[in-house]
Amino acid sequence: MRRYETIYILRPTLSEDEVTEVIEKTNAILCTGEGQIIAIDKWGLRKLAYLIKKESNGYYVFCDHGTDPANVTEMERIFRIDDAVMKYMTVKVADTINTEGIEAARGEYEAAKVAAAAAEEEAQEEEAPKQAEKPAPKKEAPKQDEEQTDAKTEATSDENTSD
Amino acid sequence: MRPKKRVFQRKRVCRFCTDPETVLDYKEVKVLRNFVTERGKIIPRRIFGTCASHQRQVCEAIKRARHIALLPYSGNTPR
Repeated sequence: MRRYETIYILRPTLSEDEVTEVIEKTNAILCTGEGQIIAIDKWGLRKLAYLIKKESNGYYVFCDHGTDPANVTEMERIFRIDDAVMKYMTVKVADTINTEGIEAARGEYEAAKVAAAAAEEEAQEEEAPKQAEKPAPKKEAPKQDEEQTDAKTEATSDENTSD
Repeated sequence: MRPKKRVFQRKRVCRFCTDPETVLDYKEVKVLRNFVTERGKIIPRRIFGTCASHQRQVCEAIKRARHIALLPYSGNTPR
C-alpha cells in the first residue's frame, strides 16, 4: 500500500447530492482490497486560476488515502470518463503505509481539526472587543475659517492700494 | 574612463533554512504567492537567495498548484 493525496475538481453546476455521489463512488474504488480513506475534505466552490472546460469556478475535493497503485489507475480512468470531474491530481506522499500508519495519520488530522477550531475561537474572542470599540467617525475640521481669513487679507490689500 | 561597475555583495540566506518550521506544500497558495511574480512566473534563485534544494521544492510546489488551478500558468496573480 502507498499513501496518496488526490485533489479533484468537480463542475460547479452539480448539486450537493451529485457531489456526494461522485465522492462515494471514488471512495468505493479506493477502498477495494486493503485500501482505506484517511481523510476527505470538501474545499467547496473556489475560483479557478484559469478556465477549465470553459468553467471559471470549481468544486474542490481533497482526499488523503492509502491504497494500492492499481486502485489509483482505476480511479483516474473513471475520472477521465466521468463528465462531472473537470481535473484531478494525485500525489504520492509515502511509498509504504500500513494500517497502523493510517490510524496515526487519521489521528493527526483529528488533532489538526481540534487545533484549528481552538485557533478560530481565539480569533473570534479577539475580534469581538475590537468591533465593540469602533472609533467614532472623525469630525472634519471646519474649513470656513480659512476662507474667511483669506477674504479679509484680500480686502485689506485692496484698501492699501487704493490709499 | 568608464565608471567601475559596482558589485553589491549582500549575504543572502535561504529563508527556509533559517526557519525550518515552514513547510512547502502545493496546497498553501498564500505562501506560494510570495514566490511568483505578478505575471505568475517563478522568481529565480538569484533574486530570492533560496538554497538549491529548497528552490527545487518551491518549484515543485508551484507547478503542482498550477496543475490543479490554484495558481495560474501565466497571468495576473493578485497578492
